[in-house]
Amino acid sequence: MSEDIILDIQNVTKQFPGVTALDDVSIQIRRGEIHGICGENGAGKSTLMKILAGVYPWGDYEGTIIYEGEELKLEGSSIQQASEEGIAIVHQELTLVPTMTVGANVFLGKEPVERAGINWDKLYADTQEILTKYNLDIEPQAIVDHLGVGKMQMTEIAKALAENAKVLILDEPTSALADDEIEGLMEILRALKGHGVTCIYITHKLEEFFGVSDSITVLRDGRVMTTQPTEDLSVEKLVSYMVGREIKERFPKGNRQPGEVILQVENLHAQDPEEAGREIVRGVTLDLREGEILGIAGLMGSGRTELVMTLFGEYGRITEGVIRLEGRELKIASARDAMTDGLSLVPEDRKRYGLVLMQSVLKNVSLANLDQFASWMRIDNLAELNASLKFARSLDIKAPSLHVSCDSLSGGNQQKVVISKWLMSRPKVLIMDDPTRGIDVGAKYEIYKLMNDLAEQGIAIIMISSELEEVIGMSDRIMVMHEGKSTETLDIADATQERIMALATGIANNNGISNTALVA
Amino acid sequence: MNTDSNGSFKNVVSNLAKQLRANVQTYTIVIAMLAIWAFFSVLTEGRYVTPRNFSNIFRQMAITSFLAAGMVPVIVTGNIDLSVGKLAGFVSVVVAKFQDDIWTQILPDQLLLTTIISVVIGLAVGTLIGMLQGYFIAYLRVPSFIVTLAGMWILNGAILLVTEGKTIAADQPTLAVIAQGYLPNYIGWIIAALVVALLYFSMFTGRQKKRSYGFELPPLPVDLLKTTFFSALVVGYVYVVNLYNGVQLLVLLLAIAAVVMSYVSNNTRFGRYAYAIGGNREAARLSGVNIKRNIFGVFTLMGFLCGIGGVALASYVGYGTIAAGDGYELDAIGSCILGGTSTLGGVGTIFGAMIGSLIMTSLTTGLQILNVQAAWQYLVKGIVLVLAVLADVYLKKRR
Repeated sequence: MSEDIILDIQNVTKQFPGVTALDDVSIQIRRGEIHGICGENGAGKSTLMKILAGVYPWGDYEGTIIYEGEELKLEGSSIQQASEEGIAIVHQELTLVPTMTVGANVFLGKEPVERAGINWDKLYADTQEILTKYNLDIEPQAIVDHLGVGKMQMTEIAKALAENAKVLILDEPTSALADDEIEGLMEILRALKGHGVTCIYITHKLEEFFGVSDSITVLRDGRVMTTQPTEDLSVEKLVSYMVGREIKERFPKGNRQPGEVILQVENLHAQDPEEAGREIVRGVTLDLREGEILGIAGLMGSGRTELVMTLFGEYGRITEGVIRLEGRELKIASARDAMTDGLSLVPEDRKRYGLVLMQSVLKNVSLANLDQFASWMRIDNLAELNASLKFARSLDIKAPSLHVSCDSLSGGNQQKVVISKWLMSRPKVLIMDDPTRGIDVGAKYEIYKLMNDLAEQGIAIIMISSELEEVIGMSDRIMVMHEGKSTETLDIADATQERIMALATGIANNNGISNTALVA
Repeated sequence: MNTDSNGSFKNVVSNLAKQLRANVQTYTIVIAMLAIWAFFSVLTEGRYVTPRNFSNIFRQMAITSFLAAGMVPVIVTGNIDLSVGKLAGFVSVVVAKFQDDIWTQILPDQLLLTTIISVVIGLAVGTLIGMLQGYFIAYLRVPSFIVTLAGMWILNGAILLVTEGKTIAADQPTLAVIAQGYLPNYIGWIIAALVVALLYFSMFTGRQKKRSYGFELPPLPVDLLKTTFFSALVVGYVYVVNLYNGVQLLVLLLAIAAVVMSYVSNNTRFGRYAYAIGGNREAARLSGVNIKRNIFGVFTLMGFLCGIGGVALASYVGYGTIAAGDGYELDAIGSCILGGTSTLGGVGTIFGAMIGSLIMTSLTTGLQILNVQAAWQYLVKGIVLVLAVLADVYLKKRR
C-alpha cells in the first residue's frame, strides 16, 4: 500500500435480508483528494457511508477498511467514535440544533468547560478561528435558524472540522442549495483541500464533479463499476457507467390494454404548506389512462413524492394548474376527498406513512375503509373481518392471523397490508410511491404481478420508482421529473436508462439538447 | 375452513391459554388487584373484605373513574388533560349554586324539577368547556398540555368566583340520591339477571353470526366458561353489596359509562380513529382520518364525563366548595397509566383504567383501615405506579 492512501476500502460486502447492498466494494481514497462517488438511488452509496460513519459497525459487514494504515474497527452506536477517529459526515438533512448559535452548534458536546461552566468567550473565539481558517463566512453568534440553508451547511462543515476531521464526507450537499451557494461550497471544498482535508463528495448532479473532484467512483447495484481520474471522464461516460445494464426477466409480462384518459394534470404548481413561497411542484403536466401503468422516474428530491402527495390532497398548497378526473375538475383538500373521488395512495416509507405498526393487520387494512362497514354508532366487526380476509387472501399476506400486529411482519408483507388497505377503497387511480423499496426480490415479483392484474382490471396506476430497471420493466409510459418539473413523458419503446438518467439529472431537456454548461 | 372446532378438553385448555396470553397485560393487572385485596384482608384480619367496605371502595372510586374513562381516549390520541379535576369541581359548584341559590328563589318547592335542570346544566357546562378546550387543541393547534394547564387555572378561578370563597350547600335529597342512593335488593337482582341474560344472548348470537360468515369458532366450552365467569362476577358483586345496602346508583352509572366508553372505543369509527391517530398520526391522516374532528370529539367527550363527575361530586359531598376536584386529574391519569394506557399514545383500554382506578382506591382504603398516615398513602401510591410501569417495560422487553 502506497503512503498517500488515507482510506483503503477492501472487498467490503454488506448484506441485508434479501438484498446485497454492497458487493465486494474496493475503493482507495488518497490523502487530500476530493473523491466523487455517484450512482443511482439504491446503488449502495449511503450504505457505504453508513459503514464509514459506524452506523453499521465493524463485524456487521465483510471486508476490511484500512484507515491511516490501521484497520478501522467502529463499534455499534459509535457515530461519535467515527468522528473521534477523524471521519465526519455532513448529512443531506442537516443535524443542527436550530435554536442555538453557530458556535454552540460547532462545539456541541465538546464545549470548553471551566469550573464556572462553559467558557463562552473561548467557544466563540475558537469558532471564529475555524471559520476564518477555512474561509467560512458566518457569524459565530448567529442563531442557526436565522441562517439560510447554505450557511447552515457551512456550520455543519465547521462542526466537522472542529473535531479535527481528516476525512469529510459530504452526502448530497448541494441538493438544497441555490446556484451561488453551490459555487460558494465549491470554494470551501477547494480551501479544505488546500489544508489537506480529504473529502468524499456524493452527488446526483454529475456536472458538479467536474469543477472540484480529483477522481470519481461509480457504484451500481452495490458494485464498483469504475474509479477514474476526473479528467478522463465526462457526464455521458458517468451515466453509461451508472446504468447500461440489460433488464432481465424480473418483470412479469402483463397484458395491459390502456383505455381512455382518466386523470389529467395540467401545469400543476404547488407550494410547501409550512413555508410559503417555497415551490415544491413547479409545473407538472401528465395524463393517465385506464388500465395503464405510468412510471414516474426522478432522483431523490426531484419532487416526485411531493407531486403525488399534492394530488392526494395532503401536502402541497396548489397555486396553479388543474387536476381532472374523468373530465371533471377536482378540488382535493384532504386524503378523504381524494378517496371519495377514487384516488388511492400507497405512500412511500410504509412504516412512517403507511401503517400503524403497533396495530393488527386487520385494523390497518380497514382503517381507511371503515365507512364500508360502519354506521355512525357501530362497526360491523365481522363484515370488516370478512372483507379484510378476502384482500389478505387474494394478496397472499403471510401472517399467522389478521390479529397479529404489523411490526411482526416482513417488509414485503407489510407492503401488501398497505396495498390491501388502498385496494379496499376501490380506487380508479392507484398511486404507488416506491412500492417495492426495501423488500426482497420474491415479494417484489408478487407486487409486480399484482400491479399487472389491477391494471388489467382497468385501474390506472401511477408508480414512482427509484429503480430505473423497475420503471422500465413495469411502465407503459414514463414521466421523468427534475427539480419539481415534469420533463418529457417517454413511451416505453423510447425509454432507455441513459435517456431517463439524462432527463433526471437535467443534462438533457425536453428537446434533447443539453442545457447545462458542463465544466470539463 | 372448519366451522365448528373440536370441543375436546385439550382443545379447550389450549384455546383458553391462547386467549390468556393474548391479553396478558389485562390479566396481570387483575391478578395484582386480587393480590392487593388479599394482602389487606390478611393485615386487617378480615375487616377489609366486609360487604360494607367492598361497597364503599366502589363508591369511592366512582368519581375519578368517570374522569379516567374520558382520559383514556385523550391519552390514546397522544394528548393529556390536566383540567379534568377542576372542571369536575367547577361543575359541582355550578350545580350546587343552582340548587341552593337560584332555584330556591325562582322555583321554590319544585325539588325534583330543579334537580333535573341543575344536573342538565352541569352536564352542559362540562361538555361546553370540553368543546372549548378541544377547539383550541384540535383546530388552533395549541398543545393539550398547555391548553388544559391554563384551563385548570382558569377553572380554579371560576370556582372561587362562583362560590365567593364560601361553601354552598346542595343537600337536597333529590340530588343526594344520585351519588348516595342505593337500589332496593330486588332491583339489584333484576339488573343482574338482565346483564347475565344479555351476556349469554350476545355470546350465542355472536357465534351464530360468525358461523354464517364461515369463520372459525372457539370451542363452545371456552365461550361458555368465559361468559359464565363474567356472569359470576356480576352476580357475586350484587350478592355482596346486597348484604350491605344494595347496589349503589352511582356505581351503576359508572358501569354504564364504562361499558359505553368501552364500546365507543372498540366498535365505532370514532374510537378506532383515536387509536390510529395515537399509533401513527401520519398514517391515520393519509388514510383519510379527520384528525382535528376526532381530537375535538375526544375532548368534548372528556368534558361530558367531567360533567357527570361534577354532578356526582356535588351529590356525593352535598355541597360545593372551593377545593372541589383538587387533584382528581392526577388520580385519573394515574389510573389510566396503571391500567396499561401508554403515554406515547395508541394503546390503552377503558377496562384497564377502571381496574387501575379500583387498585388506587383499594390501596387508599386499605391503608385508611390500617390507620396509616396520609403521608404514607401518597408514598405507596407513587411507588405502586412506578413499579407497575417498570414491570410493564420489563415484560415488553422480555417478549
